[in-house]
Amino acid sequence: MAYRISVDTGGTFTDVVVADATGTMTIGKALTTHERIFDGMSDAIADAAEQLGTTLGQLLAVTRLLIYGTTRATNAIVTKRIAKTAFLATRGFPDVLLLKEGGKFNPHDFSKDFPEPYIPRSHTFEITERMSSEGTVSVPFDEAQARATLKKIKARGFEALAVCFLWSIANPAHEQRMGELIAEMLPGLPVTLSHQLIPVVREYRRASATAIDASLKPLMQAHLKGLERDLRAAGYKGEILISTTAGGCGHIDAITEKPIYTVGSGPAMAPLAGIVFSKLENLGDNVIICDTGGTTFDVGLVRDGRLTFSRDTWLGPMYTGDLLGISAVDMRSIGAGGGSIAWIDEGGLMRVGPQSAGSMPGPACYGRGGTLPTVSDAATVLGYFDPHNFLGGRMRLDVEAARRAVASVAERIGLTVEEAAYRIISLASDLMMRAVGDITINEGVSPRESTIVAGGGAAGLNIMKIAEELGCRRVVLPKVASALSAAGMQHADIVAEEAASLVTLSTSFDVDGVNTMLKDLAGKLESFRAGLASGSDDYAVECIAEARYLSQVWELDTPLPKHRFDGPEDVAALVESFHQVHERVFAVRDTSSPVEVVNWRMRLVVRLSTPPLTSPEAPEKPSGEARHHRNCYFGGSQPVSTGIFRSEELEPGLRIEGPAIVEEPTTTLVVYPGMAAVVSGAGNYLLHVA
Amino acid sequence: MTVTDETSFDPYMTAIIANRIDGIVREMTNTLLRAARSAVINSARDFSCSICTADDQLLASAEGLPIHIFGSHMQARAMRLAHEGDLKDGDCYLHNDPYTGNTHAADHTFLVPVFFEGEHLFTTVAKAHQADTGNSLPTTYMAGAKDQYAEGSLIFPSVRIQRDNEMIEDIVRMCRSRIRVPDQWYGDFLAGIGAARVAERRLKELCAKYGKAQIKTFIRDWLDYSEQRMVQALRKLPKATLSASGAHDPFGDLLPEGIPLKVKVSIDPDEAMVELDLLDNVDNVDCGFNESEACATAASIAGVFNSIDPTIPRNSGSFRRIKVLLRDGAVCGRPKFPHSCSVATTNVADRLVNLTQSAMAQIGDGWGLAEGGIGLGGGMAVVSGKDHRYEDGRYINQLHLGSSGGPGAPSADGWPTYGIPVIAGLMYRDSIEIDELKHPIEVRYMRLKAGTAGAGRQRGAPALEFEYGPKELPMDVLWPCDGTHYPPKGVRGGGDGVTAKHFKIAADGSEKELPNIVVDKLVKGERIRGHHTSGGGYGHPFERSPAKVLKDVIDGFETVERAGQVYGVVLTGSLDQETLAVDEPATIDRRRGRS
Repeated sequence: MAYRISVDTGGTFTDVVVADATGTMTIGKALTTHERIFDGMSDAIADAAEQLGTTLGQLLAVTRLLIYGTTRATNAIVTKRIAKTAFLATRGFPDVLLLKEGGKFNPHDFSKDFPEPYIPRSHTFEITERMSSEGTVSVPFDEAQARATLKKIKARGFEALAVCFLWSIANPAHEQRMGELIAEMLPGLPVTLSHQLIPVVREYRRASATAIDASLKPLMQAHLKGLERDLRAAGYKGEILISTTAGGCGHIDAITEKPIYTVGSGPAMAPLAGIVFSKLENLGDNVIICDTGGTTFDVGLVRDGRLTFSRDTWLGPMYTGDLLGISAVDMRSIGAGGGSIAWIDEGGLMRVGPQSAGSMPGPACYGRGGTLPTVSDAATVLGYFDPHNFLGGRMRLDVEAARRAVASVAERIGLTVEEAAYRIISLASDLMMRAVGDITINEGVSPRESTIVAGGGAAGLNIMKIAEELGCRRVVLPKVASALSAAGMQHADIVAEEAASLVTLSTSFDVDGVNTMLKDLAGKLESFRAGLASGSDDYAVECIAEARYLSQVWELDTPLPKHRFDGPEDVAALVESFHQVHERVFAVRDTSSPVEVVNWRMRLVVRLSTPPLTSPEAPEKPSGEARHHRNCYFGGSQPVSTGIFRSEELEPGLRIEGPAIVEEPTTTLVVYPGMAAVVSGAGNYLLHVA
Repeated sequence: MTVTDETSFDPYMTAIIANRIDGIVREMTNTLLRAARSAVINSARDFSCSICTADDQLLASAEGLPIHIFGSHMQARAMRLAHEGDLKDGDCYLHNDPYTGNTHAADHTFLVPVFFEGEHLFTTVAKAHQADTGNSLPTTYMAGAKDQYAEGSLIFPSVRIQRDNEMIEDIVRMCRSRIRVPDQWYGDFLAGIGAARVAERRLKELCAKYGKAQIKTFIRDWLDYSEQRMVQALRKLPKATLSASGAHDPFGDLLPEGIPLKVKVSIDPDEAMVELDLLDNVDNVDCGFNESEACATAASIAGVFNSIDPTIPRNSGSFRRIKVLLRDGAVCGRPKFPHSCSVATTNVADRLVNLTQSAMAQIGDGWGLAEGGIGLGGGMAVVSGKDHRYEDGRYINQLHLGSSGGPGAPSADGWPTYGIPVIAGLMYRDSIEIDELKHPIEVRYMRLKAGTAGAGRQRGAPALEFEYGPKELPMDVLWPCDGTHYPPKGVRGGGDGVTAKHFKIAADGSEKELPNIVVDKLVKGERIRGHHTSGGGYGHPFERSPAKVLKDVIDGFETVERAGQVYGVVLTGSLDQETLAVDEPATIDRRRGRS
């Protein structure tokens, strides 16, 4: 039997999903080993192999495809273990990375130092040159000065180079010449030129992406090659693909050319799983993906079966972190999860987060010395977790420690421990609900007409409460919820993107220029596709115009119906497409205004044969009485005898009425009173909030 | 004394509804930012959104600019009084009158009364600085305006612009006939109404979900809670009466000594009250520098908020604990008609923020802030003219390229993206490329100027220097800078910031220094260069850790010379060879010699 394996190496756990030829998925988990990723990965694969009744070696030998997702790049950035990178900027503009785009959240908070730029000022070098906004030469490229600078860079032992000149997108000649000089004087040194990586207007965004990309090249090259070596040594002979933040995957060689695309690639896979499970269960193709971990809650969107993208992804906090700049799958993260701490502030108001107990000491119930009440402690107090069988028996929970922690809050507000615990969970749910509200409102999507697909180990705790608050009636908790990103990778396609900046107005549309540019983008993608090994005939090319009304500055992604403009009717179609997008997002259209397109993106999707999807019809039948019961609390001070269902006791079609708890080996589902869960033909949980 | 009624205060439900309200203000903000047309709104974020109650209390303001939002309840009141008995569901009002609660005439404010079950429950407020409001000169900061008539802006004292959700087109025609680049104005107008309406819709949904009674309870509890937070904060302060004085720069022959300013701060922790006394100030001046009541109040209150726990909600609840004393006819009080308040949001207001927060620094180490960099200089000029690239189409806008340096604080250095005190780092910077795309200008450089930061244990942020000019056609440039004569001051032994300096470069390269207030026209080949002020330092520079001084030199914020002379830190090695290091014994010796 041929298998495919997807691997999501997170900060703490490595998740593996193994799919067989029928599409049946098996989850393996192990601790991530940061020194040598392969160790944790092979442990997790071995874990899955054992469940399949085989061994690591045997499983690898019969696997055809392995898709690898990694937080390596993200971690390198967060822990500042990137290459020593030189930033080359236009003379007079050394502070693009330092000043960023300005902005701050709290006008009265003067307690923090200004953030460090991604590349220090002392690693920034100014090159004498300047292009104008019209692409003409304002200051000629000073070759002698550029050479002298490169000599200095060589002497100081830099490991990578990022080049971002003003208006290189209007005329790349100076950046190109700089690239030639680097190749000549510093052969083999990794370099990123901004107009090639990210040809978009706004120098900070371009510079930030360019700097991040260059700084990751030495590291990611070594990492991916090393992983490939380890896999081959373990007997794996199949294909290796790497997942990307563009929502697809690619070969190692392509990824090492643009390693920035591995930043955030794990969470970017969750929406793929979202589409798959929503379609599988016949719940449409408008999907909200909610991924709850220990410290963060990530939300993403799928609209009309398409992923949503954003150029506003920040590494670290908005404004003060570093902007990714590239068009990445839009996953928003807030600091809320099982580890979020509840507290009462000076005015007597109840709060949850943003502080988190993290993994050390972790929630009080973990018994590792934590004393502050967390969301997980609240769930423990409420009886939602089996203290003797948490995470399939991998951990014992200290109920008394959890009670003590929650009591510290309960006493302050004059409630019982159970009443306070229920409010902690509800308040956390409300914060998560608002995060979902923010992204759906920004994108003009109605939660009421969407399906929620929930993932992450802590998802089952409150996803039904979140859905209820959002008025969302269709909710799926996949059986593989705890490894949603790895499950999504199973359905990833090979994706390549090319982009260009060409500013043109609908009223004076540069038909020839746009057609030439689009043809050029299509040509690049075609030669990429031709270079792929086998099975690259099933593909599609999409084109997106990043457009706005004249004198607006924030663009909206506008799908292009055609990839060539044959006449005024095609321009009119683009304009109409933009009006529709603007109306969806901002509820108004301004038909009197010309439409300006700033950037153009083309996206090639080469479909991989994915595991089959089947959710056989399963007639609904009542579950009957649970075999086990536990006292749980649902807001009141009195316990409610609650049915406990273990996943191995369930079969397709069973309808479980709340209150009830369903225990999966890697997640716990709370079915609140008045709600219900139905096991689908595929073994997923369809949740009915009302 | 307990302010919060413990018996009925619901710590959970209050948190939930506050969370929803906050989300609504954020949605307003997002709508206005992304749908607006002028760069001053959509790039620089010079706007604020808030929600007031039907009885004119400021309830929520999310990330709004303090100078904008602290007075929005006065505008809600002005709207209610002007239309007593005739406020209806579906109405929208435009307000920009500095004499009835607005900041200055350039801030167009959109107010929508929100009705639920026939009762007026909220007023949503979206306030945005316009690219133009029809002044007699092409600027929204008319420093030289003798009075409101000379200023020339169209004034809308709570004027109805929509009834039954339909536009009253007469108003639109009036604006189109007077405001420069009317299509740009109209796009911003729609965006402002859109923001106020989006909040209206969400508030109605909120009321439907929780019911009127619960919402009313929430309003009461949220304001009481906010007051309680303020009470806690003020009780941590010592009892003290502090005062600070300073001055706004001179202005030609009209104000040869500038405008002297005084703030007295009395803190009473027992009563948990703080009093801001602005009574002892000069009369209104015959130019655009007068404060509106909203600005005088907001700026001095901002100085207090800058010096306490930053998480305290900013609304009428916490404001109950601050008493502001203003005098009729004073330059920073309630203005006497028809004095112009055209520049009310920045210059004198910035000085008031600085005076208040530096007065708070007199409490002791750990309190207050140094003075922040001031002055809307060349980097924030209003530029206008015709664009040869777009068939000579007209443009007008305020640039947000430059910034003054932020103030040193008890535990952090100043931020170079500070802007000015009333902005406090909140607004966005312009992208050079976007500015060059939207205006026919070219920027020659934009960078930190080494060695300009107000020195201190925590230093101010250095100044940013820049040079730019028009491409083909002439361009009007106007700015009302401050800080060219009187720099921002350091506190607790910290050094002052540098003064602002601007030059006009002729086509032949010759330079002429410009005054602080500039109304000029540049032709092809001519440029402006210069920098705004930097931020003042907090604490003596000899107390700054040598490692931080070394880092500042390596990063190019400071020079080796100043490290030695100003900070008493002796360095060895070479910057270029990455061997620069602190000579510790020499540093200890130098710092011992401190006088």
